[in-house]
Amino acid sequence: MSTIEQKSIDVATQEILRKAEAENIKTAWDRLEAQEPQCGFGQLGVCCTVCAMGPCRIDPFGEGAQVGVCGANADTIAARNLVRKIAVGASAHSDHGRDVAHTLSLLADSHTHGKSGSHSHNYEILDIEKFKSLAQEFGIDTQKPKEQILTELSKKLLEEFGKQEGTLTFIKRAPKKRQKIWKDLNITPRGIDREIVELLHTTHMGVDNDYKNLIATGMRCALSDGWGGSMTATDLQDVILGSPVPVRSKVNLGVLKENYVNIVVHGHEPVLSEMAVKAAEDPELVKLAKKFGAEGINLAGICCTANEVLMRHGIPVAGNFLQQELAIITGAVELMMVDVQCIMPALHEIATCFHTKLVTTSSKARFPGVVHIEFDTNNAYEIAKQIIRAGIENYPNRKKEKATIPVEKMDLVAGFTKEIIFQILGGRHRATYKPLNEAIISGRLRGLAGVVGCNNPKQTHDYYHTALVKELIKNDVLVLQTGCSAIACAKQGLLIPEAAKKYAGKGLQEICEAVGIPPVLHLGSCVDNSRILTAASYIIEEGGLGEDLSDIPAAGCAPEWMSEKAITIGFYFVASGVYTVFGSNPFATLGSKNLTDYLTKGLEEVVGARFEFCDDPMQMAKLMIAHIDKKRQDLKLKPMVYHA
Amino acid sequence: MKNLYYEVDKCVACKSCEVACSIAHSATGDLFKVIREEVLSLPRKKIHASKNKNYPVSCRHCQEPLCVDACMAKALEYNEEKGLVLHDESRCVGCWMCVMVCPYTAIRPNIKTKIPVRCDKCSDKDQPQCVKACPTHAILWQEEAVTKR
Amino acid sequence: MKNFIIIGNSAAGIAAIEAIRKIDTVSKITVISDEEYPAYCRCLISYYLAGQTKEKDIFYRTESFYRAHNVELLLNKKVARVDPKKGRVVLRDRNQRSFDGLLIATGATPKIPEAVKGIKKTGVFGLRTLQDAKAIAELLPVTKAAFVLGGGLVGLKTAYALRKKRIDVKVVVKSKQILSQILDYDGASFVQRRLQENGIDILLGQDITEIIGEGEIRAVKLDSGKAYDCSMVIVGKGVSPNIDLIKDTEIKVNEGIVADSSLQTSVPSIYAAGDVCESLDLTRGAHAVNALWPVAVEQGKIAGTNMAGGNLRYDGSLGMNSLEFFGLPTISLGIYRPEAGEKFEELKKSDPGAQVYKKLLLKDNHLVGAVLVGDIKSSGAYLRLIRERIDCSSIKDMLLQEDFGYPHIVDFVKEKENVYV
Repeated sequence: MSTIEQKSIDVATQEILRKAEAENIKTAWDRLEAQEPQCGFGQLGVCCTVCAMGPCRIDPFGEGAQVGVCGANADTIAARNLVRKIAVGASAHSDHGRDVAHTLSLLADSHTHGKSGSHSHNYEILDIEKFKSLAQEFGIDTQKPKEQILTELSKKLLEEFGKQEGTLTFIKRAPKKRQKIWKDLNITPRGIDREIVELLHTTHMGVDNDYKNLIATGMRCALSDGWGGSMTATDLQDVILGSPVPVRSKVNLGVLKENYVNIVVHGHEPVLSEMAVKAAEDPELVKLAKKFGAEGINLAGICCTANEVLMRHGIPVAGNFLQQELAIITGAVELMMVDVQCIMPALHEIATCFHTKLVTTSSKARFPGVVHIEFDTNNAYEIAKQIIRAGIENYPNRKKEKATIPVEKMDLVAGFTKEIIFQILGGRHRATYKPLNEAIISGRLRGLAGVVGCNNPKQTHDYYHTALVKELIKNDVLVLQTGCSAIACAKQGLLIPEAAKKYAGKGLQEICEAVGIPPVLHLGSCVDNSRILTAASYIIEEGGLGEDLSDIPAAGCAPEWMSEKAITIGFYFVASGVYTVFGSNPFATLGSKNLTDYLTKGLEEVVGARFEFCDDPMQMAKLMIAHIDKKRQDLKLKPMVYHA
Repeated sequence: MKNLYYEVDKCVACKSCEVACSIAHSATGDLFKVIREEVLSLPRKKIHASKNKNYPVSCRHCQEPLCVDACMAKALEYNEEKGLVLHDESRCVGCWMCVMVCPYTAIRPNIKTKIPVRCDKCSDKDQPQCVKACPTHAILWQEEAVTKR
Repeated sequence: MKNFIIIGNSAAGIAAIEAIRKIDTVSKITVISDEEYPAYCRCLISYYLAGQTKEKDIFYRTESFYRAHNVELLLNKKVARVDPKKGRVVLRDRNQRSFDGLLIATGATPKIPEAVKGIKKTGVFGLRTLQDAKAIAELLPVTKAAFVLGGGLVGLKTAYALRKKRIDVKVVVKSKQILSQILDYDGASFVQRRLQENGIDILLGQDITEIIGEGEIRAVKLDSGKAYDCSMVIVGKGVSPNIDLIKDTEIKVNEGIVADSSLQTSVPSIYAAGDVCESLDLTRGAHAVNALWPVAVEQGKIAGTNMAGGNLRYDGSLGMNSLEFFGLPTISLGIYRPEAGEKFEELKKSDPGAQVYKKLLLKDNHLVGAVLVGDIKSSGAYLRLIRERIDCSSIKDMLLQEDFGYPHIVDFVKEKENVYV
């Protein structure tokens, strides 16, 4: 039983955990304790529940059964289990992308059929440049009228999901050398849905028994997410909801306000939370809030949808994955609206301990007994208003004596996209990646790191993210972040320009000061990891840092991961040539030495990158920096200006 | 006299032994029927984790049993011939004195049935059912002399 | 070949017989009991009253036991006095028996609060012996309402038994909580709630001043002035050790007969064990009477062994109680509440929703007491920590863990662990 300080380094989290303990409310940490010890076979990945001849286990000590009933050994079983998770992670991201593409097509419909009126509050094309640029990528003539481009583009985007042959269009964004590697390995993704189906097929009883082949199919599916579903989501969200620009905001539970109606959006799809943002500003609703005794409506976010509305509107972030229950436990939240992914079933019971209303909005994510107000893109604004109104009407039910809002809220700067980095780093002259490349080549910047991913109660919450990032920027590595990892570091004050002076090495400091950026750049939500892929491609295109993504002095890390999506992201990064470290729990593969060795050694020869499993943030930093240094050496770059 | 010994390093906490134990002491002896029995058969052994190791805990049938001394209803008795501490349900009143004093926390109270839950080395079967059920062979059923070696 | 006399035929006496016979099969053993039954499970009396335990099942040992262990059993005989100088006991019927070794295990008798008017009327009972239980049981068919005086274990178990027999029962407790001798205030409120939810009326902070009735009891009057109809009063106000038989001797007495770490009294060859015995309480570091069945058994074992020439050391007694009312198991070990001026470190977990309460008291990182309500399965581990005086500094944050058990203390216990290989 760990102490509160061992559970999280975040003071606000500690405070609410104490409140939860005092009020006998069980959180994820308590439920983890009740689950321990967790089954060793499961942890090692050698439990197979695929078919009814099982369930089978491989004895990791070599004495008992070494094969399942069908004859599958530990390598096959562990590999099958692992790639199934890739499929699920890809499904989550790609389905999200599909929903956005679908929204675009509805927009196309409404424009074509001349619907007007209330849709002034629904969606429209907000980033015309990106819209046109996308159209060009899909071979559409941008001289045509906007409505026609829209119709053609939305059709083509939706087709990416159902494609049977050919390759995904966004693959062409990758450096030519990387595209060739994929082609030679036969892992270029053909169609978003197809890759998931084929991957699942190979894991059916009695199909693929070759762990290397399973991993190859897994990589192809992961690529269909990273360069397909996720990238579609990211780019189309920018088109419809506007591309982010650097924005200053606040993060942590302290963003909840004592005298305001607090509404929390939680989940992943911003087509919903965008409308919530608009509805929260509706004068009619603000007036209603005042009528109910509040000073106004305070919208805050949790998890990726928080990142989306943060990036685009500067909406404050209440917390990351492990804080979702804690937000409710403050007793100060009138309503939490959720859509899909990373939403704990426990929220329902916890909400019943308070006045908080929990509302589900997606037909894909229901809770027994919870109010469901189904979100419909056709009537988005009205539905959002309905939900906000329910929150307002709940305000008088808040028991002020039971409510505790921690004071902690930290400033952060978010809103960095590949285009922004272009613009910012281009300085006064023109939008270009040249200064960034120059910084790396000249040795002011050692390289780049992507630190991303979730939280896991098995580790001290937020500690791994922040310790790692601090160590990296100390060594002049510019850190790009997404997801709950970004929120973790933001809470500790790493995402503000001031952090450069406090924590960054001299080289990185100089750059941050010159350009006015923090040493850690928040790129958005988990689908926005695709921004890193495109940014990396631009870096190669700019020149001077090799010809393939694996040449860039860069490394990735998911220090506190927990979801299947994290595995998929890991695989699409490795398959794209980025050395990626996973913290704490290695993938459940240790029961198969062959598979583990393949992932952590063998893959390097195949795709030019590999995984690393490590459970100490200082060691993670050491490994990543060593990798970056090696890449610098291979490129024969100048030595670092400020470090040995 | 054979006893249960545990190779702690081999226990992966899969709890197959707990499941097998429940089934062995159930009315139907059938996993799928067991979970629907009116009185659920609780496992007589439990796995505890401590410092990254897993420890199965079960009654050790001590030769100087503290539970027998503590029992105020004379429901527990050490049978030398069988090498077992036997429990007489007809005398037991569910006072939980045995739970209170067991130095190995090997007895749990079953509040519903008011009977203490403790291992009986499956004396009505050929061997304790957990032994076969353990997939890593972490449970040993052998003479004390063998273990001492 | 020696001559051993054991006065008393319950937990301590029987344990002594078995202990003596383990190392000495030839000496004479005579057991003198003032009751008419062979040894029975005294703690089961309230279960007998409730109709749960049948008379045939209440016996701790049967006649065959005494024969098999070659013991002369004298029933219905009271020892009037002990004569240490002459090495003999004198019975009330003037008979005398001499001894080489004497074990006094005379137990204790219910305290009767003399100040209550009418306390000596018929219809007022203590509940200590099978005889008491039978007398009460006889009257139950004609009893509608009864009062129990005292909120201790005996009082509450009696109330529980009467409730099971559908008697309307009220418990009068002087203290502000029930079970004030074994539970802290918070722990006691959990138990009290459960009792009240099941129809047992508890009047706290009140006392009986008068028992009213001519011939038969009609009512009781409390110090509030209020009177209640009832026809039976059961007194559960604690017990006092039966030390009358040595009152004119040089055997050291306090509340009970004072015994050392061999359970020998101040007179060599005379030993004491059980509810009459005042030995070192290892949690308090002072002598005290801990009138509890498992304590009596352990003391009887050691006293008997030592009387027969053995050399066992008694580390001391401690409070250890286990009870369950209406499905809420409760255990109390050692020191459950600091006395005025005492300071202990307290670790506490209270979850009324799940009906679980745990409180641990530590002194200098050593566990000295525990109150457990609702979840009692870690008790054996706590008991070991207390008895073996284990330093808990390195495991303090684990102590209240739900699955705290033997594996968490295996590295600290004194014996050689041989089951984990």
